Amino acid sequence: METRQQGTVLFSGILVLIGTLVVIQLWLLTAGVEGLLAHARDVLLPAAVASLVLFLVNAGLLWYVTAFDARVRDGGTRS
Amino acid sequence: MGDDPKGPGVPRWRDDFPVRWDADHYMTRRELAKFLTLGSALLVAASGAVAIAGRVAKPEAFAPQPIADAETLTPGASLLFRYPTDDDPCILVCLPDGTLKAYSQVCTHLSCAVRHDPGSDSLVCPCHRGVFAAADGRPTAGPPTRPLPRIALARRDDQVYAVGVEV
Repeated sequence: METRQQGTVLFSGILVLIGTLVVIQLWLLTAGVEGLLAHARDVLLPAAVASLVLFLVNAGLLWYVTAFDARVRDGGTRS
Repeated sequence: MGDDPKGPGVPRWRDDFPVRWDADHYMTRRELAKFLTLGSALLVAASGAVAIAGRVAKPEAFAPQPIADAETLTPGASLLFRYPTDDDPCILVCLPDGTLKAYSQVCTHLSCAVRHDPGSDSLVCPCHRGVFAAADGRPTAGPPTRPLPRIALARRDDQVYAVGVEV
């Protein structure tokens, strides 16, 4: 049975992971804009696809912690 | 501070502060995770917009412009001109084998003006000692990482024309 203590630790770890992926997405966007301005168009589509993959990972992590939170609440382990 | 009539032993201030401090941290982190994921979605949209802009953008076409008389250009010579607008300084160089090459004069590092060095057959940026090959404009030394934009040339009746910009 999951507990709130476990959930807090889980949230901290997943928040760090999501934040890191968002920073990578920011870097991809910067690289894409620079490629657009430099007419290096071959980098634009891979950057967009990579950003989409990172978003899907983020959405999956958010769904996981939300489901975990729901299980904790349903389990009645709140203090 | 009396007891809450709703239950024994529960103080009244609990009505004003119903969330325990550890649960409050928990809520804040959950909202931050949602906020970050929303930002992630916005970044995907921005990257997609950039990719679409790159697909639909067409290269600009510029009118040909006469820049020099071919017979006056000897190997090792260089000539400054502006193309395609008066705000775009360019440099025409005549290589040792007589081939003519033209580039934007704006250094791709921090936009200083490059100069032709006939001795090393290169274009040198004096600001940070960036060096570009005169033959193809690629960076060979110093901080620049991108090549100089090339100016397409054409010869008509011994006249050299700038006919386009190749980035």
